[in-house]
Amino acid sequence: MKNNPKLDPLPYHDRKPHGYGEFYRALNATFRYIDGKKGRSHLEKFWEDHGKNYMAPIWKKWKAGGLDAIALYWRAFFAHEPGAEVKVTANQEFVDIRVSVCPAIKHLKETDWEIFPHYCQHCYFVSEAAAQQSGYTIRVDGGNGTCSQRFYPAQSAPEKQNLSDIRLAQ
Amino acid sequence: MIGTYDFCAHYEWTFAWLEKQFGKEFLLSFFDEAIHRDSQLKAKNLITELGFEGMKEYWGHTLDKEGAEYTWRMGPDYFRMDMHDCPSKGFLMRNELEQHADYCDHCMGWIGPLMKEAGFSIDHQHNHRGQCWWVFSADGEDPPSVALESDENDVRRRKDWDDDNTPVDTFFRANGIPDKKNQTE
Repeated sequence: MKNNPKLDPLPYHDRKPHGYGEFYRALNATFRYIDGKKGRSHLEKFWEDHGKNYMAPIWKKWKAGGLDAIALYWRAFFAHEPGAEVKVTANQEFVDIRVSVCPAIKHLKETDWEIFPHYCQHCYFVSEAAAQQSGYTIRVDGGNGTCSQRFYPAQSAPEKQNLSDIRLAQ
Repeated sequence: MIGTYDFCAHYEWTFAWLEKQFGKEFLLSFFDEAIHRDSQLKAKNLITELGFEGMKEYWGHTLDKEGAEYTWRMGPDYFRMDMHDCPSKGFLMRNELEQHADYCDHCMGWIGPLMKEAGFSIDHQHNHRGQCWWVFSADGEDPPSVALESDENDVRRRKDWDDDNTPVDTFFRANGIPDKKNQTE
């Protein structure tokens, strides 16, 4: 099932072209459960461990391929997410990801599901943990359905991420 | 962002993470509270309100969307499902992933408590290779014999059902992972 690992930015593949939207509910429930039972610090650790460990096959390619590899990954990633409308561009300074329709928030809203308010923060914590492993860093601005995400080389990053720049989801 | 395309891989990783961080009991609670009572709330409501018709409506819709190969049949006092190609476990096998000791258990982990509350018990086996069967019938009674009868759709008739290297997990009149009877056959 695996494609040529040198050319393919995704580590895993399914037979279906897109993921199943209702899995966003499971992610939403997982975040809510860990936060409710163990607190925010454990939820943040869950997200960070996901970025460091689960995403290891991904950030290793970022480390080897730089900003172009980061852009390649996110284009492939969002191409398989149901309902996503995202533009990914790269230059020599950063990768810019413009999310005009977040597939997760779109699905949860369309199905009238109670959204974990800090859902959008997972994008920052997961991606920052993966980025740090490969010498990069991310800044997220927006949330609740639309946002911008930029990956910079760690040494040329702008000021630290302010979590209040990430909107609550509702 | 965590996505849905590789969701099953993420989910398996999550089970292993939760168990390692907080223990087996916490993972069992996660199956019940986060899946049964949150993400699968629609299944809970359908089955609690409509019984066997709710099972038909839920599993017909969900498994079709997930790309499963399965059959089902029902009578006035049972619902049976034979899974020949689980899309979830199949994803893990095709991608050579095995982070958690028994990924298949998560289904019993959320369906078991749901059925208990809805008044049903479960007879079930899974072979850890993307194949399983389920019979749901009234709690406190033996399952109707017609539900256990083997027909051409019985997943256990497959040549690849048995594998000397992989145990089959068995549940009779069960409502949760602790009800697992053995790992033989």
